[in-house]
Amino acid sequence: MTNHNLLHELLPLYALDSLEGDELHAVRSHLHSCDTCLRELARYSAVTSKLVPDEPAPTHGWERIASAIGNGADIPLGRASEVIDLEEGRPRASRAVTLLTAMAAVAALVFAGIALAQRSLLNDLTGDSAVIAAAEQAASSPGAYVGDFLVDGSSIAQVVLTEDGHGFVVPTEDLEPLMPQRTYQLWVITSDEQVISGGVLGNEPRASTFTWTGDVSGFALTREVAGGVVISEGDVVAVATEA
Amino acid sequence: MQSARLQSGHYGNVAYLTSPVHVSAAWSMSDSNTPDALLAERVANRDQFALEALFEQYGGAVKAVALRVLRNEALADDVVQDTFVGFWNAPEKYDAGRGSLRTFLLTIAHRRAVDIVRSEVARARREEKPPDPDHYDVADEVWTRNLAEQVRNALDELAEGEREAISLAYFSGLSYVEVAKRLGEPEGTVKSRIRSGMKKLAASLSGATA
Ligand SMILES: [Zn+2]
Repeated sequence: MTNHNLLHELLPLYALDSLEGDELHAVRSHLHSCDTCLRELARYSAVTSKLVPDEPAPTHGWERIASAIGNGADIPLGRASEVIDLEEGRPRASRAVTLLTAMAAVAALVFAGIALAQRSLLNDLTGDSAVIAAAEQAASSPGAYVGDFLVDGSSIAQVVLTEDGHGFVVPTEDLEPLMPQRTYQLWVITSDEQVISGGVLGNEPRASTFTWTGDVSGFALTREVAGGVVISEGDVVAVATEA
Repeated sequence: MQSARLQSGHYGNVAYLTSPVHVSAAWSMSDSNTPDALLAERVANRDQFALEALFEQYGGAVKAVALRVLRNEALADDVVQDTFVGFWNAPEKYDAGRGSLRTFLLTIAHRRAVDIVRSEVARARREEKPPDPDHYDVADEVWTRNLAEQVRNALDELAEGEREAISLAYFSGLSYVEVAKRLGEPEGTVKSRIRSGMKKLAASLSGATA
């Protein structure tokens, strides 16, 4: 028997992951060079996958994946977009009013000036270089909002929002990771002091995007339970206002 | 060129954020033609929604197979995460010409679960405290009931020895050598039962949709 004939007979066992040692390695390396065996293996793999029933996706599984691939803000943000009118990207009035009440603490901080934002270049950034590059480009676009979340005088994250509504949050090295059950959450403060969720950033935020087409007077960053909330229940980490 | 790709990824996110309806319409296409290649391409273009759609569709099956092999929730959750994050990081490994994305993801998840089960630590732990067989008999019945009718019928057509060997190999993550030990049968016998059983299944299920 040729090598191919021998190894071909092992494919059903390979598809079940029931080979070990020399046989496993022989099949694996043969598959690099034999199309016939690859096609045959595909048949058996299709069989094994049919031995597994479909079930509902595990709850909370996605949050974990989203935060693991970084830039995880975008997905939970879509979920939080209940608070954003899908047609116009504007807050629904009733929800916004509730948020306003609940987020009075954030607004108070804005005006108490606990953390003042300043316009700056996007220096010392960490995270996904692709998003950072896009954020830098956005920051230099005409009419872009650029602000810092300052804690004790140093920036823990920078926020950019272009005139056409493309937003970026880019953490610096000074943003401390949270426990896995917690997340940072971004809030948009409108010019009439409504507070709207801008997205969930995860417990170890990386450079993230969001979208906001309404007017803006500032942003706030809070700590919440993982998955994010519609109305902030957590503590305010920092607020940013444009200089 | 790099910034052009960034932009498309970025707009992908924006489309998702402002218009989830639009995105789910794109997903439903997957029920018809060759959406798997399209989804893989979207994942390659850093479209997180495409990955989330895949997770919603296949995350349950991925977790189920990991849990069946590992019999440990936390380890199974790790496998789910590894599987989808792995696909996110290397979507080019999926070849639409060689099967469905569901099969691809389940193959990765099963292999990962088996690697864990065969690691020395897990092996020692299992010998110390083997899983309660009664509990899993019940769980296995539920499992079988949830399979497509065509698959149940195909399994019914196997000889008892074939079904037993395949199921121990696949669901317990055992090598055929270990299956033989467990059953007290010669290795060659188990090997040929698995082979003939799998050939029968492939014959009766080829053409069945995954
Ligand atoms: Zn071959």
